[in-house]
Amino acid sequence: MDADTSRLGRAGSSFAVAAAIAIVFNTVIACVKDADKPVKTFMASLSGHDWTTQGIADVVLFVVVGLILWKTSIGEKLSANSFIYLLAAAAIVSGAGLFVWYVLY
Amino acid sequence: MNITASDAILLAHAGFGVLGILAAVWVFVEALNAREENATRIRIASMVVALLMIGAWILGGDWYLHYYPADKALILKGPWPFAHNLFMETKEHLFFLTLILALYLPIAAFEKLHANPKARKMVLWVAMLIALSGFAIEGFGGVINHGAKLALARDAGTGAQ
Repeated sequence: MDADTSRLGRAGSSFAVAAAIAIVFNTVIACVKDADKPVKTFMASLSGHDWTTQGIADVVLFVVVGLILWKTSIGEKLSANSFIYLLAAAAIVSGAGLFVWYVLY
Repeated sequence: MNITASDAILLAHAGFGVLGILAAVWVFVEALNAREENATRIRIASMVVALLMIGAWILGGDWYLHYYPADKALILKGPWPFAHNLFMETKEHLFFLTLILALYLPIAAFEKLHANPKARKMVLWVAMLIALSGFAIEGFGGVINHGAKLALARDAGTGAQ
């Protein structure tokens, strides 16, 4: 079957959303654990270090959300540009957000 | 010559990161010229990016958890405490952004880029973001290293241990 050239495939679209969610989650959890020490302590108790827990949580979130969305038809509902700009915006805003957070914190 | 485990792990971490950036640039260039003939090469290169970034994560994580605390204490007492408070704090969390993008890249590259301009555009964006965030992370590493160097230089100048 020929690819629809205006859309991404099922895996490409579902894991793009999952990547955007995991990237935003990463920045949010980095800020929350710094602002709320019990959260940091809890995260450290899970793996020995909060940073380790955060990394594992990011990857697990990416995989699990991607697999869940993969079973849906999300790729048929939105244009390819929507996924591209969603992921790019998530990466740029979250990356800049991390830097700004640590400038201010 | 005295190369400690800390040195070897740290340099390997940076090396994996640099090679991961280079591989992302490789994917970007291949995707710019996406054809049926280089489709397999793009997929292989994108998997190389993911594997190198996973390697950088494991090596960097090991160094960060086991060797960095001593450097951190040194930097915080030195003239550039922001090398840790701003640059290391940002770097250690920004890396996960690069890692997630690197894990996604092979999935995006699995599509027929030569036949689907939108899929090609996604791969170009992701490869570019990996390279740019990777360069930022490498630069931050340089600042952190300089923060430790300045602290050591000041200690040496004052005779502090």
